[in-house]
Amino acid sequence: MNVLDILRSHKTEFLVGIANTLRLCLLIWPIGVLVGGILGVAGARFHLAIGKPSQGISFVLSGVPILVLLFWLHYPLQALLNVVIDPFITAVVALSIVNVFLVADLIRGVLMDFPAQYLLAAKVCGLETRDIVLRIQLPIVLRQVLPGLLVQQVTMLQATLFASLIGVDEIFRICQRLNSEIYKPVEIYSALAMLFLVVCLPLNGLALWVRQRFTRNLSER
Amino acid sequence: MNRIGLVGEGLSKRYEDRYVVDGVSLQLSPGRITALLGPNGCGKSTLLRLLACLEKPDRGSLLLDGRVLIPPYEGSRQAPSPWPHVTLVFQQLFLWPHLSLKENIRLPLMRVYPETWKEQLHEVIEVFGLCEFVGRFPNEASLGQRQRAALARAWALKPRYLLLDEVTSSLDIEQVGFLKDQLKLLKERGVGILLVTHFLGFAHDIADDVIFLWSGKVFESGSIDLLLHPETAEFKRFLRLMDTAPRNHGTSLQH
Repeated sequence: MNVLDILRSHKTEFLVGIANTLRLCLLIWPIGVLVGGILGVAGARFHLAIGKPSQGISFVLSGVPILVLLFWLHYPLQALLNVVIDPFITAVVALSIVNVFLVADLIRGVLMDFPAQYLLAAKVCGLETRDIVLRIQLPIVLRQVLPGLLVQQVTMLQATLFASLIGVDEIFRICQRLNSEIYKPVEIYSALAMLFLVVCLPLNGLALWVRQRFTRNLSER
Repeated sequence: MNRIGLVGEGLSKRYEDRYVVDGVSLQLSPGRITALLGPNGCGKSTLLRLLACLEKPDRGSLLLDGRVLIPPYEGSRQAPSPWPHVTLVFQQLFLWPHLSLKENIRLPLMRVYPETWKEQLHEVIEVFGLCEFVGRFPNEASLGQRQRAALARAWALKPRYLLLDEVTSSLDIEQVGFLKDQLKLLKERGVGILLVTHFLGFAHDIADDVIFLWSGKVFESGSIDLLLHPETAEFKRFLRLMDTAPRNHGTSLQH
């Protein structure tokens, strides 16, 4: 039984796993990008009131492995609060928190490093604030943020594997279960690797393309 | 003082506890070129930014053709913007890096002259001889090409007062000669120009007036002939130093 046979014969289980992984991503990605984006912009605008605290939380979070955060939110916190929460929701919350602060860090950093002189040059050329934001600031910021943001979302996709350890039926957990039933670790985990490559490689490729295509024009300062 | 012109009265700007510009009064008149000279760090660029309304002076006032300007203008709807009637070409140019040189010129032109921008764009590309490289991005163009594009961007906007910060620094002799012609053309069209330069010969060739800035203060000002007959010891020393400094334009003055 080779990898393709495994994929074919357990298509339904794999599809359920992929669907759950994608469901996780489809929640984690937009939450991270939207909330993190807002937090990043607010942090750059109000550096002391929002930027610094956000940076502090991000610093603390960077010292806590995602797995520990997941476990802590799933077991001790729920025991403390005496509630039972669906592990899928716990995973969404934990991974979204991480994603939000990573995105906020990225966007705040780019905004704070933005060369203000480009905006001054736009002003003296008579451009109005709307044009300055939409035609100058936003395109430059997007070109700087986008590659990092894409790579970061790929990392978040890979981090969804940890959700299996609190009982979320995502693709890794499906593979573990399958392996315990038929014991074909090489084929099963190779199939898993293939599935991840299919999703992650295009995203990484897109990030690379965006970096090469757009950020090269920013080198002249 | 005649009110027509870009007039700064007692302009002062302080960074921390040091006055970078200290009580400077000057007038840029339409159709006249004024050279602003002074050693590095004497406050020339800060003065230019004050005159371009990019910074708020700590003291003093600014008048544009008799109208008081109250910089900075961010979010202010109290007074009409002075830009691009007054515009500035920065020493570091600051061409927008995500736009080609052509788009750098086109974007402000489309906004300021929505009816006639196409003809003006064509004209400026022609006048500045940008055809061969106008499609390049700033990082793909040479410094001289970028400098010409930055000048063209300002030129195309038809400012009434043009402030130029060290725009000759990376131009070769031919390009400096070309720039001279363009500045003379602007002068004939009635544009008031303030030019910061270290090239005395260039200043002498095209400027009508000169201002010598020293430690943020105007030490001498008057007709461009002051370059040949400086009065203060500081200006004499500065001119002597500049005259002996190596330069690429061969435009020294003999003192």
